[in-house]
Amino acid sequence: MAIQKLVGKGRDAIQIILDEGSFEENIIGGFTHQSEIGPGAVIGTGKLKGRTVTVIANDAKVFNPRFPVVYSGIIGMEEAYKMAIAVYKTIEADRGKPASEKRPLILLVDSPGNGPGKQEEIFGMNKATGSYQLALTEARQEGHPVIAMIIGRAISGAFLCHGLQADHILTLSKEHGTMIHVMPLSSIARITKMDIETLQSLSETNPVFASGADFFYKLGGVEEIIDDVSDMSDIISRHVDEIYQLNAEGRSMEAGPWGRGTLGAERGGRGARLEVINKMQQEFAEIENDYL
Amino acid sequence: MALQEMNFTFQAKGDYESIPEEWSHTGVVGSGDLEILLRHEDLGGKVEAKIVTPVKGFDDIWEKVLSKFVESNKVGNVVIEINDNNSTPFIVSMRLKQALAEAKGGIL
Amino acid sequence: MMSWKELQNTSFYESPARERAIGLVDEGTFKELIAPIDKFTSPHLPVLGEAVCFDDGVVTGVGKIGTRPVFVISQEGRFIGGAVGEVGGAKISGLFQVALQLYDKIVDKYPNDYESRIPAVVFSFETGGVRLHESNAGLLAHAEIMEWIQKCRNKVPVISLVGSKVGCFGGMGFVCVATDLVIMSELGRIGLTGPEVIEEVMGKKEFDSTDRALIYRTTGGKHKYIMRDCAFLVDDSIEAFRNQIEEVLKMPYSEIASYRSIGSLELVEEQLSLVGLSTELHPKDSKDVWRYFGNENADQIQDLYYEDFMNSVKIRPRGGR
Repeated sequence: MAIQKLVGKGRDAIQIILDEGSFEENIIGGFTHQSEIGPGAVIGTGKLKGRTVTVIANDAKVFNPRFPVVYSGIIGMEEAYKMAIAVYKTIEADRGKPASEKRPLILLVDSPGNGPGKQEEIFGMNKATGSYQLALTEARQEGHPVIAMIIGRAISGAFLCHGLQADHILTLSKEHGTMIHVMPLSSIARITKMDIETLQSLSETNPVFASGADFFYKLGGVEEIIDDVSDMSDIISRHVDEIYQLNAEGRSMEAGPWGRGTLGAERGGRGARLEVINKMQQEFAEIENDYL
Repeated sequence: MALQEMNFTFQAKGDYESIPEEWSHTGVVGSGDLEILLRHEDLGGKVEAKIVTPVKGFDDIWEKVLSKFVESNKVGNVVIEINDNNSTPFIVSMRLKQALAEAKGGIL
Repeated sequence: MMSWKELQNTSFYESPARERAIGLVDEGTFKELIAPIDKFTSPHLPVLGEAVCFDDGVVTGVGKIGTRPVFVISQEGRFIGGAVGEVGGAKISGLFQVALQLYDKIVDKYPNDYESRIPAVVFSFETGGVRLHESNAGLLAHAEIMEWIQKCRNKVPVISLVGSKVGCFGGMGFVCVATDLVIMSELGRIGLTGPEVIEEVMGKKEFDSTDRALIYRTTGGKHKYIMRDCAFLVDDSIEAFRNQIEEVLKMPYSEIASYRSIGSLELVEEQLSLVGLSTELHPKDSKDVWRYFGNENADQIQDLYYEDFMNSVKIRPRGGR
């Protein structure tokens, strides 16, 4: 089993996953990203098993010279808008093509968070991260398979914008140093005023506040855990095929955030969610005629 | 650490009255506050109370406050369900009166 | 509880979630879905010794404004800061689902005459985002809600209201701007990162999280209005919010959507040019940005009464800067 830590190595992951020498940075269809804007995000086009794909990744090694809080893969305002543009340009590149020919978007996830600064709040970091999410959801609606591959850190708001809107989410196993959480257990211990040992033992039976790939798997938060770096290309490709298939059958809601909710219940992780949704359906059905 | 659950049963002396509707809800579980759900149920005049709270060890005070509420307001055939977050006995007793007034359609 | 008429003149800022929900739609029309009697409390809080609540901190239901069914989501800031957990998150997603299903049925039933009947979703935010006690489920719920907002586009108008005590922060900060249109009072606050975290990252000299005026200048209603992040700024009463919703629902969908700040390539490019302005201006304070947009009275803006502010303010021009 090949363990290779890819935390902080978004660019290396692109080379491992895509066909050799196929990645063209900053180019998507007829569009070329020409500015220095958003250095912490890597966008471009490559081939995955011969298929043209758009890739969006984080570059943890650069600093954004214009925003002091954006480094180490943090998604700042420029980065999030750049990522959103990559998605819209992908949609544009395949507009008019049948769904089976809409190119996939592959998100390589390794980010510790969104830009947490004052300028970010004045100008609206929330709009930047929201833009990227709406773009990804629109791409899914247009028929582009969106697969997120967690190679490092998938944390809170960063994971929400760069990952959680994907059709399917895959992650390298925890042996690869991957991290998935909102907050580390130590911070949750501080907030809930519980000692970390108690929280740890509670999290064994309830994955809802524990961190890591295995717990997210149980909640339906990730579809599949990959144990070997060299399997990533094959497994991502297989998931792309599955999404084309689901979309062709009009079953796109079985993937994406809503589909993962169902998956969570199947894996015994988020039971209350499904009960609430069923109850909502039932209660509204009783009064629906008043509104028709 | 887990939440505490307490259950009590009361019986008003003499006449009693339930609430007009099937159920009624009052309050917000804020810090130092509570919510109260009153339900009409045929219990042969009894009142059943269930309290869920993070605070341990005040069972007798809850019992006293609730018993006084049932007695002085002549409540019967009602289930009282409370979610509490560190309310003082004074707040509890005030909210109970509000809950009953609201259940009876009164404006506070 | 106050009568519907009394609720109208009540402060929106101070009002609990259920009173807002009832007061925002026509008198006597609000029907709560998954009400307290259903007792859907969080299954995760009890083991942590944290108090539970029958509505899990969010009121969901449906009412009417004129001929339109209006689905209402109203968050309760007094319960764990209005944070979103598994149950509350599912109530929100589930309500979007029934709203969209009703839309499809109405279009089916009245193919030539559905515009005056289509439902809307009104989302009254009071939240810090993900509930940390059940953080993973809260995070996944946020993603579902974003998906529903996108699915509602061009069908069901989604209107955000922000004017409650806790404001709208964390993940809910981007949920609220992803909707078609945002209505705020000047007491409302929208942001992503809370003041304490910004202070921790940047230092107290750059951002003092105890400086209430600074926080309002950075995230408050007047600032968001100048930036076009909120379409309408209204008085702090339930009635003022309600009247504005009524006005919005008279607009054709295309006009409602014209108030969007994000959600298309064009809008993203507009926002990105605004980020460019940020790197040129290097604002020390929102006042620098207000001045740039032509508000010479930037130092007074915070103290202006609502009417005086509305009469004199210059907001960011469309198209960026």
